[in-house]
Amino acid sequence: MKIYAYGIIDFHNKLEEPIEGLEEKGIYNVSYRDIGVTVSELNEETREITDTCILEHEKVVERLMINFTVLPMRFLTVFNTQEDLLSMVEFYYEDFKNNLQRLFNKVEFGMKVIWPADTIKKRIIDVYHKTKHNISVSIDSPAKTFVKEKFEKHIIDKEFQEEANRCIAVVDDYFNKIAVEKKLKRLQTESLLLNASYLVDKDRQNEFKQAFEQLKNAPSDLKFLFSGPWPCYNFITLTKKPSSVDYFNTEDMLNRLLAQQGFAQERNSV
Amino acid sequence: MTNRIIETDSQEAFIEEIEKVQDVLPKRIDANPKNVEKGLAKLVLTLVELIRKLLEKQAMRRIEGGSLSEEEIEQMGETLLKLENKMQELKEIFGLKDEELNLNLGPLGDLM
Repeated sequence: MKIYAYGIIDFHNKLEEPIEGLEEKGIYNVSYRDIGVTVSELNEETREITDTCILEHEKVVERLMINFTVLPMRFLTVFNTQEDLLSMVEFYYEDFKNNLQRLFNKVEFGMKVIWPADTIKKRIIDVYHKTKHNISVSIDSPAKTFVKEKFEKHIIDKEFQEEANRCIAVVDDYFNKIAVEKKLKRLQTESLLLNASYLVDKDRQNEFKQAFEQLKNAPSDLKFLFSGPWPCYNFITLTKKPSSVDYFNTEDMLNRLLAQQGFAQERNSV
Repeated sequence: MTNRIIETDSQEAFIEEIEKVQDVLPKRIDANPKNVEKGLAKLVLTLVELIRKLLEKQAMRRIEGGSLSEEEIEQMGETLLKLENKMQELKEIFGLKDEELNLNLGPLGDLM
């Protein structure tokens, strides 16, 4: 029998309300000093990260968030024994305490922005050719032709990046003053201008949502995907060197949740 | 959380981009007895490609700064061209595509 972990909470006693986890097993709290790890038993030897697993994990974390501060663990975090689990908590205890304090009464919002990359690139190329911002070499060899092409690409890419940064700064400005912390991923694809996670005080959620409304209503050719509040999946920071296993934010949890949750479901139903 | 919002007017576009981000890289080098050669080649070529790109970037910065003579540009171009052709050759030998030459560094993002 293995142990599946959902999250670390700022509570070390027995959970009062029954919560059902994966494989319909009851959730219980394994305490260490003044914190706890919420877990359930897991029968199978190995498991894939299925849609069901992700949704059930998320459901448990959200249920826990009603009463506690939660450090949600990566999907499919499994321990062989309770001793293994406790030695992990012992190792990271100080980090867990600091994160629990930092994330107390906070939630996460996700903000993705798509921009018209092709149009912008075309505009940059046009300007490049018009301004003759060219390399001044006489083109008389394959090597020089090669350099000329590379240089053109370099200048265009650079301008594209700068334009992206300007645009991201405008978007971020709507949320920057409200959020406590943020993580901005720029241009993960040419079109995905921004993939941002913002950490927000629970008390300022409405303010944050209003900021999005303002941004959405401002004239622009940007497309937005706004989501939240979520558990603080992307804001757990460990100062201790992680072991060979990463328990927390090793990947974009919101992307995975969006893909598996509302988005995938709606798309499949079309 | 009952007050969750997932709001967009461009669902299909975002699905496409999210899938691109998720699918772009395997989480680890896929090395097993059957494809160990390709797995190692992928790792080595990824590092070579990173160095090649850094060299190329540095060269373009120097051109932009105007610190290279025509002769130096010629020499540099020849070197970069040969390096790129050799990389192309090696990628074909090991059946690797451009987008495969990358590594996911977890919280640090992608190598390139």
